[in-house]
Amino acid sequence: MKKNKLRFLIVEDDEMIRIIHKDFLEELFPKCEIFEAENAAQGICQYFECSPNVILLDMMMPLMGGETFLDILEEGYSKKVLKYKPKIIVVTAIKDVKELMNIGKRFAVEAVISKPLVQSQLKALLEDWIE
Amino acid sequence: MDDMNFPKIEDFISAQIMDKEKALKRVQQKKELLNRVLTIFKKNLSEKKETIKTDLAKKNWANLKLMAHGIKGSAWTIGAQQLGDVACAMEKAADNKNYPLYNHLFQILQDCIERFLESEELNSLL
Repeated sequence: MKKNKLRFLIVEDDEMIRIIHKDFLEELFPKCEIFEAENAAQGICQYFECSPNVILLDMMMPLMGGETFLDILEEGYSKKVLKYKPKIIVVTAIKDVKELMNIGKRFAVEAVISKPLVQSQLKALLEDWIE
Repeated sequence: MDDMNFPKIEDFISAQIMDKEKALKRVQQKKELLNRVLTIFKKNLSEKKETIKTDLAKKNWANLKLMAHGIKGSAWTIGAQQLGDVACAMEKAADNKNYPLYNHLFQILQDCIERFLESEELNSLL
């Protein structure tokens, strides 16, 4: 993943948290492009329209949650309809350990980070992937 | 759990109403950004409070859980620990579809919201 061609997608229903994520990413990668979605349905549209390299995904959202987002992508990968596989980081306030483990085991998921997001954790992850 | 065993507001008071330092850390010490974020948080809180009232009447558990979960995540993000803790307990009550407990915690949440809105820490940041 090249630093100057980074495209992030933030799928998060809370405007306040989207703003904090966006500000942090812009500061870390000033040349990146950032797209936003308020729920998984919008997120799926943005996936096709913007081809993000990295997706920050919330799980519990109104209308369509993160689980459905992952179901759709994984179905697409398994049927070879989707080839493009961005790195998905789940950022969630879910505290149930079993639930968190199940999310972490999903094929589409690269990492799970707890809310409130510790930005140094996200930074460390991204710096591992980005040249 | 009977009413006698329900948590009281005192059970949540040990947590900070607003941790200013934590809030500033989340926005990398950018006061202007924090001001913007807190304004949105306040607006969302009041909207969510009204939604909870409506959903409680309908016992719409999916939405009651979603509302509590949303308040928990955003409150903890901006260092409003007390609010986040009450919302966390409400989320669990919604999981168990425990109407009396959820309703009781909602009353506590409303008290906490008032304390939060009146807090010196918050008002020094706005």
